[in-house]
Amino acid sequence: MGISAQLVWQAIVNGFALGWIYVLMALGLMLIFSIMNIMQFAHGEVYMVAAYFAYFLSVTLGINLFGAIVICMAVMAGLGVFLERFLFRPVRGRYILAPIAISVGLTLILQSGTMGVFGLFWRSLPTLAAGSLSILGAALPKDRITAVVVSVILVLVLYLFLKRTKYGQAIIASAQDYEGATLQGISRNKMAGMVMAIGCALAAAGGILAGSLFQIIPTMGVLPMIKGLIIIVLGGIGSLLGVVIGGMLLGFVDGLAIVFLGPMWASLIPLIIVIVFILVRPQGLFGHE
Amino acid sequence: MNRKWLTYALGIVAITAFLISLPFVLRSPYWVSILIILGIYTLLVASLRTITLIGVFSLGHVGFMLIGAYSSALLVMRTGLSFWAAFIIAGLVSAAVALLLSYPFLRVKGIYFAILTLLTAETFRLVAWNWKSLTGGNYGLINIPAPNPLTIPGLGIMQFESFNSYYYLTLTVVVLSLFLLYRLEHSKAGFIWRAIREADILTRCVGINIMKFKIINFVVACFFAGVAGALFAHFQRSLSVDYSSTFGTMMSIYLIVYLVVGGPERFAGPILGATVLIIASEFARPLQENQPILLGVITILIVLYMAQGIVGLPNRFQLWYERALKRINRNTTSKTSLGG
Repeated sequence: MGISAQLVWQAIVNGFALGWIYVLMALGLMLIFSIMNIMQFAHGEVYMVAAYFAYFLSVTLGINLFGAIVICMAVMAGLGVFLERFLFRPVRGRYILAPIAISVGLTLILQSGTMGVFGLFWRSLPTLAAGSLSILGAALPKDRITAVVVSVILVLVLYLFLKRTKYGQAIIASAQDYEGATLQGISRNKMAGMVMAIGCALAAAGGILAGSLFQIIPTMGVLPMIKGLIIIVLGGIGSLLGVVIGGMLLGFVDGLAIVFLGPMWASLIPLIIVIVFILVRPQGLFGHE
Repeated sequence: MNRKWLTYALGIVAITAFLISLPFVLRSPYWVSILIILGIYTLLVASLRTITLIGVFSLGHVGFMLIGAYSSALLVMRTGLSFWAAFIIAGLVSAAVALLLSYPFLRVKGIYFAILTLLTAETFRLVAWNWKSLTGGNYGLINIPAPNPLTIPGLGIMQFESFNSYYYLTLTVVVLSLFLLYRLEHSKAGFIWRAIREADILTRCVGINIMKFKIINFVVACFFAGVAGALFAHFQRSLSVDYSSTFGTMMSIYLIVYLVVGGPERFAGPILGATVLIIASEFARPLQENQPILLGVITILIVLYMAQGIVGLPNRFQLWYERALKRINRNTTSKTSLGG
């Protein structure tokens, strides 16, 4: 066999890092879906626009990349509130295709807008950290570690926010039963604005981390968006743990399948996993009806 | 009644004459090729709309178009089968794949179905991209032959090398398919489809096997997507599956845009949506890469302000007209009552 241990190790590390970035996408999509009941097709575009904004901040203006991440997350949260207020709120409760059409229109605008401004080239963000750690004789690149650490911190903060604060509990209540929540004085509009802000901020962080590990291009957002959606199907709506495990699973499968099975079978694997899940456990890993 | 029938007949004759004479009026191979593409997309969007009748919508219709396109092209190139058999078989292959996937897919509803179909289309594209021995991988398939010449009694032999004759082929196939889809929608099966969309549990309670009818719907829609794919393959004469090709995720987005802008509720919606947007984007060529921005803005505005799409316009005008009429009447009556 031509598969070296080095290659497998690299695939595991890459899969782990990518898995956490997919988790950031999936958490945002899931929050938005459970409060607003829409599939935010343009979430991948938010991810991409954030990466380009970080490129502008860090390469053109020379701001430190971690500073750029914070600024981008804040700006994208603002964008999220704006989108919810002026595009998604007017079509709430309409035919299921209406919000999808809005987000699809948004995808076209953001993607070709970025293409018009920056051009259809690969560009690189500065790296998160240089060099690599050596653990048990195997090299562990520092930038991958940093990306995972940042993602884990964000997911933990989100978890604590949802479980321990008043606003987090309000979001969960509204997701479980918005009519009951409204009777308790929880405004669904406010919750929708809040989850759009959180979701877009998470997508921004994911986009910048991925852009710094790999490269950025205006079409980079579509694939993580699809992966995020798959993770939601795997993990089940409403379960943070399900999403994290689903993301790890998908990241590892993506990283390892291509080494062991070759590109053709590797591209079939996610579909097969999802179909098996739907047949065996339609509500997802930890989801409930 | 007789008169109404006559109007319909005259309308159909006029539209047929218009469609047949178009290549002679336009006299430009470029515009004829746009019309061919328009016909193919119309068929795709119309069959996509058929799926919405059971209350779900697919984001992966291009995946089944891809299967149709590659089946037809490979059958003709590898086995030497005639185009006329291959393009029907292409539809059947696409329908067979849909049949295999339909049971797990149709168990889920709403957003989940959309996610699954989106994943399916992307998977088909990646498999075609990586299966180098069959599809040529990133080089794509080239030199796909044009349809074999056809002997039509009374008209002689028809060649399909030129755009004009391919236009007539596309026109015939698309019109026939649209007619079939229309008949299906207004048959008993179509009635049950809509019943499933409105109240699936109730439909099951009156003794209808809703899974069977959902599967029939999905398979029929994917058959026509496969036929559209075959038409596309032999028109383009080459196929490729890179990210930005016809089979990429962006194409699913465009299909949704055509459907929503045209109006998903009426049969004419997809036809109007595809026609208006494809011709509008031809005129927007000078905008170059900013063209999709225009499409996106149009889509968002139509969804926000015209919920029924372009198809709903006549109704809307009628409503305005009637309101205006009422207002005028009220004004005049109030004046007369004042005067009296």
